[in-house]
Amino acid sequence: MTHLFKRFARTAINFEVEEELRFHIELLRREYIRQGLSPEAAQGATLKRFGDLEHIKNQCVEISRRSHPCMRALKSFLLLVFLTGFLVRVFSADADVRQIGNMLMAVAALSRLLLYARGLSPSSFLSRTGTPSRLILHAGSQTPVAADHERTRTPVERVISDE
Amino acid sequence: MASARTDLMQGTLELLILKTLARESMHGYGIVQRIHEAAEDLLKIEDGSLYPALYRMEERGWIQSEWGLSENNRRAKFYQLTRRGRKQLEAERANWERISQAVNRVLQTA
Repeated sequence: MTHLFKRFARTAINFEVEEELRFHIELLRREYIRQGLSPEAAQGATLKRFGDLEHIKNQCVEISRRSHPCMRALKSFLLLVFLTGFLVRVFSADADVRQIGNMLMAVAALSRLLLYARGLSPSSFLSRTGTPSRLILHAGSQTPVAADHERTRTPVERVISDE
Repeated sequence: MASARTDLMQGTLELLILKTLARESMHGYGIVQRIHEAAEDLLKIEDGSLYPALYRMEERGWIQSEWGLSENNRRAKFYQLTRRGRKQLEAERANWERISQAVNRVLQTA
């Protein structure tokens, strides 16, 4: 049942990510066609500019999956179980009850570890640490003659100070 | 045209996205276009690399998304800044200015 739900949730996330990326790619392709490229050339240029589509999609799906409300609820529940176990262990005078506390802590910790291990696929690792962003800085001459202060500002500063 | 591919300093793409979304909600394509326009095409982001960044930022609660209709009447996902995102923008901006000043000082004196 859980497996079926996870599969359904993953498929739904997949569709959503795909739709979003497809929208971007379609607009990009139209823009290239508008600039005069043939449909085939536009398709090639679009895919080149967009980057590795499958890898990007997998990264997005993985991030969405781990931030899914059900996954967050499950993690919170496990934390609650662990804390309950801890409190029972600390405050109970009865050895048998303390044993129950130990068991709760162990079950919660193992489940959390299992969740963590399941999410440790190479793609999830990349999405956790973040792939280096691709930035191309043009040092060309297309910049119009600008005021002195404009020339000294970096492209990033132009974006962040553009009110 | 001469161009150089450089590594984006950690957090810079996030700063640019936050700043772009501070004006209005936008879809991914719009964000890339706005950044390119504002940087007068001197700065190019590989389009695809925007999305994992957007998803991570949403996970952190800096932005939120909702599906809507684009200008050409197609379903598109629009992102907007949250209150936490606005605070993050201020923090990232101050950080950028600090780093930028420090680097400039070194370049001027060294």
